[in-house]
Amino acid sequence: MDLQGSIKDLWKAIYNTGDLHHCFNCSTCLSGCPASHGDPPLLVRNLARMVILGLEEELLNDDTPWACVSCSKCEEMCPMDVKPFEMILAIRQWQSANDETRVPPSIVEIYKRGYTQAVGVNTELRESLGLPELNTITKNPEQLQMFREILMKTPVVSANDYMFGG
Amino acid sequence: MELCLFLGCNTPAIRPDVERAIRASMPILGIDLVDADNYVCCPAFGAFPSTDSDSWLATSGWNLSIAEEKGRDIVVQCGSCYSSLRMGREHLMHDAEKRTRVNELLEPTGRTMTGKSKVRHVSEVLYKEIGPETIANHISKTLQGLHGVVQYPCHTLFPSEVVGFEESARAPKGMRQLVEALGATVDSYSRELQCCGGAGGFMKSTPEQAIEFAKTKFDAILEETKADFIAVSCITCLMHMENVQNTLNKRVGEERYKIPVFDYNQLLALCLGFDPKQVASICNVPRDSVISRLVSVNPNEYKGPLRRDRKPAAETEVV
Repeated sequence: MDLQGSIKDLWKAIYNTGDLHHCFNCSTCLSGCPASHGDPPLLVRNLARMVILGLEEELLNDDTPWACVSCSKCEEMCPMDVKPFEMILAIRQWQSANDETRVPPSIVEIYKRGYTQAVGVNTELRESLGLPELNTITKNPEQLQMFREILMKTPVVSANDYMFGG
Repeated sequence: MELCLFLGCNTPAIRPDVERAIRASMPILGIDLVDADNYVCCPAFGAFPSTDSDSWLATSGWNLSIAEEKGRDIVVQCGSCYSSLRMGREHLMHDAEKRTRVNELLEPTGRTMTGKSKVRHVSEVLYKEIGPETIANHISKTLQGLHGVVQYPCHTLFPSEVVGFEESARAPKGMRQLVEALGATVDSYSRELQCCGGAGGFMKSTPEQAIEFAKTKFDAILEETKADFIAVSCITCLMHMENVQNTLNKRVGEERYKIPVFDYNQLLALCLGFDPKQVASICNVPRDSVISRLVSVNPNEYKGPLRRDRKPAAETEVV
């Protein structure tokens, strides 16, 4: 690990909570973490250390936060209240803000039709199951436009408007 | 009890039979459901919660405002939706600055988020509000003679402070009691609380390892239990635990992994007498071995422990 380029205050830009500094690398966050079995493994305690040490480049290039399954068991197990899952999300947010290739394509889907999946399109199947037609936002242009206008004022959409056809 | 049904994306789009099972079973047990019209993605943790706080919480606020308008709490089956909505609400309730910001964003649309609507998981409503005894007293068919195992949705357990409703997140009881209420025997096994591993990027980024991880769970089920079925209460658990079994079979070259997986509301709807074609037809692991073994309740003969307050047959007979 190269500490030459270490940025002392990087944690404030990524996960500005005093609780982070209570982490003593006990590894309880790894017990029961599915993605800790990955290759490369998601090692939550290592990410906490990298944030504290301010290893900007290593963190920017680290894909493992995106392997998290969001089960939040680490959050339950952490004895120091670091809230590791919140930290994972914070690292992803910081990566997305500093590297547009990290911005998840799913947010463009949500912007376009309100959902990550084609909700309400399977009308024949739904009918055969005795299900009602859904009043989706996709079918309601006025509501969808209102929702988009909210998103346009948020950092990720305003900074990457080309992705949203704007 | 009146609740606002939040369907999420996967259930209505990919597994609408689960939606049908929920819409069929809950009203019989006294839950009145209305749809969350114009809802949007919860948002999924891999979407706005991974980009910035404004877009994340404004999206949560949009969804919560719909339930608030209707004056109802939200009920949701998908584990990720449940956790995302709960966490979003938690942030908005505990951070006045964020709440103000979100309401500023919502304001031009005529919406507002105050926090008066809570977010509840369908398994919590079944376990805590309706209760296993009431369920046992309503069913017309049982799973008697069948063994099952349960998969607790991680998102309903952790972090217990934010999402929990069990007395102990490390020793949950709800799913077991709910399945027992349907007459089945629930077997315990060593990896009962192991996550299915299906959500987020684990499966997408390292599928080999994700499948190996899931295999340890299925091997434990096969070695340690007599499971005829797996009961889940999360759309991701449902789809992933079916798909992984098929992948594993291709690897070992035989049909070793073939335990039918059901959403709990599907089992419930079947036991309430609904048509399997409507409430449990979409699957990647055949379910006939369970559906064909449903036993009709004979109130005079069946005296399971959870049925003790069932009324005599004459009083319950439908005229």
